[in-house]
Amino acid sequence: MNRRKFLTFMGTAGVVSALGTAKVAEAGVHTFPYYDNGYGVLHDMTRCIGCRQCEAGCNKVNNLKKPDVPFTDVTVTHKRRRTTTTEWTVVNRYDLGHNEFVFRKIQCFHCNDPACASACFTKCYKKNPDGSVTYDDTQCVGCRYCMVACPFYIPTFEYEEAFDPIIQKCTFCHNRLEKGQLPGCVESCTMDALTFGRRKDLINIARKRIAENPDKYLDYIYGEHDAGGTAWMVLMPKPKGMPQIATGNAAEAAPAMKKIGLDTHLGTQPMGELTYGALGTVPMIISFWPVIFGGAYGMTKRREAIAKANQEKAVAEERQKTLETVVQCIEKEQGKEAADKARAAMTAALDEQDAKAEKGGEDK
Amino acid sequence: MRNGKALLTQTLKAAACTFCLFALCAGPVAAAELEETDSGAPSAMVMFPVTGDGTATKGSMKPAVFNHLIHEKAVSDCVTCHHTGDPQSCADCHTLTGSPEGNGITLERAMHATNIAPRADGNTPKSCVSCHEERYKAKQECAGCHNIVVPARDDKWCAVCHNANVTPEQLAKGSAGSLTAEENLEIATKSVTTKVAPEKVPGYFEPTKVIIDTLADEYQPCLFSHRRHVASLVERIKNDKLAEAFHYQPEVICATCHHQSPLSMTPPKCGSCHQTKIDPANPGRPNLKAAYHLQCMGCHTGMGVQRPANTDCTTCHKAKPAAE
Ligand code: SF4
Ligand code: SF4
Ligand code: SF4
Repeated sequence: MNRRKFLTFMGTAGVVSALGTAKVAEAGVHTFPYYDNGYGVLHDMTRCIGCRQCEAGCNKVNNLKKPDVPFTDVTVTHKRRRTTTTEWTVVNRYDLGHNEFVFRKIQCFHCNDPACASACFTKCYKKNPDGSVTYDDTQCVGCRYCMVACPFYIPTFEYEEAFDPIIQKCTFCHNRLEKGQLPGCVESCTMDALTFGRRKDLINIARKRIAENPDKYLDYIYGEHDAGGTAWMVLMPKPKGMPQIATGNAAEAAPAMKKIGLDTHLGTQPMGELTYGALGTVPMIISFWPVIFGGAYGMTKRREAIAKANQEKAVAEERQKTLETVVQCIEKEQGKEAADKARAAMTAALDEQDAKAEKGGEDK
Repeated sequence: MRNGKALLTQTLKAAACTFCLFALCAGPVAAAELEETDSGAPSAMVMFPVTGDGTATKGSMKPAVFNHLIHEKAVSDCVTCHHTGDPQSCADCHTLTGSPEGNGITLERAMHATNIAPRADGNTPKSCVSCHEERYKAKQECAGCHNIVVPARDDKWCAVCHNANVTPEQLAKGSAGSLTAEENLEIATKSVTTKVAPEKVPGYFEPTKVIIDTLADEYQPCLFSHRRHVASLVERIKNDKLAEAFHYQPEVICATCHHQSPLSMTPPKCGSCHQTKIDPANPGRPNLKAAYHLQCMGCHTGMGVQRPANTDCTTCHKAKPAAE
């Protein structure tokens, strides 16, 4: 497989979204199934002391690389750390003002409607009935669309791997859940700041905690609706002196949430729906992407080979051939109407790209 | 280190004082009179649920006795409670069923609401309950326990205020609004002066030491100075009238940590309910390790105890010597 060439073709943004248009037209709004009994984890920041035992637990159960700084050194939490290929979860300290410091654990949120999954055109990601969003590297082409799509900057790419680098992220310990074990981090938490349970139960537990201690908590469950709902949710303390907000009011919660690095403006629309239009051609494309790939590859190859004089004609021919192959696939799968739509959209996109290339003078 | 014996003497002394006071009041002398208030308001009053239509209320709850005298001393000015600026009775506007003058806030809400929206001008009205809550959350001596426990709102809790000893006739008259001010004061005074202070029991402090070793694996067992901790709590709140009223029996202090079980001087241990592994049927109940940590650190944080820091693990339980 030649990823770069494939991406050159796919990267012609218009092509991708044209395919997307056809699919959306055909299938309507796209979402992942919602698993009512799915699990989740509630991170109660009022309990978290930033001891990093969860990081240690994750490292242990997933056999990750030994950390550069031992887990007993809690001063690293003062830095704004991000998850890495070998640290699937990190705990960072945030300043709420008034000398009030809190800690938040960062890992994959296991979105109900994972943007990473809708952005991945080779379908590496899966939302499982247990609530976890897992990644399987066998089909990964290393395009890193998932990294772009994830609103929480979670998937990380093994840039340091020379051969076959893959994506790494928290798995919700899917393999442990299957064995009836708790996620490594949850089991190691010294404060039960991480509560594991069915997502719907967790929302009730969170509500109860807020109701019993309305002064202590901000009346907002991050992840209940944010980004279309997530399996992992966050309860944060109400900063001292801040008046309580209206229950679940995203706009009112925003200033406090911002202090802990969370965005309440992701909206409640499932992220997948958004990325779908922009990046996701999938999962339709999966059935015939080798065809497109082959076509695109051939096209580029030929283009390189033929003389400048013949180039235009040849490219046009090649283009038409690839396009027709794709459209045939669509017609077979989704009927004539969708195929016509896709043909029109793709032709327009390619024309536009050609026009741009002409203007730019250089074909990349 | 505090001396257990000295504390014991102290407690006994306190008990003795209560006894004398009690003996005085109960003597054959004419009903003791309460000190006069500065404001001229009655020193104490029974708050009858006045129906407004001349009928008596039904129900088993005793009316509350309000000790105007000590509350007047405890707040900075009249407006704290009389939030309109007019020293009228609460029930004038906040009627049993709510009235336009009282913004539809019923008497019950006006006394008990805790979800009062802050007013822009800073003049946020207070209910009895919200003001008490504010006080114990603001006071460092109280904030430790009250950071980790939510007082149970049970019958005993209600009875701290709803304790007026009235005859059915008095209740009928009172709730119909036909009791005179003098009669009311007389009943209220009697209730206030005959109130029995909660007994003080030295058994508070047992046991002296607890060795927590059920979980010891990475660390050595933890030695918890039980007596010292209880003694320090009791010592800090001993002059607080609000604390005295609501800690209506010694077991209430025990219930700070030994929460969720019936009040007792020999309450169950933490491990009786908190299992070493989380019970999937009760995902909200912390496991044993977390239960210890939450309780200890929750209280320390609430009371502003600086040392040890929450992540100084080895201050409470020493590291295990490395295996050979
Ligand atoms: S979008 Fe990001 S946070 Fe959501 S499931 Fe995918 S990787 Fe996790
Ligand atoms: S759920 Fe598993 S993989 Fe994810 S952070 Fe926790 S221990 Fe790591
Ligand atoms: S182990 Fe628990 S308390 Fe410690 S940092 Fe992680 S989430 Fe916070």
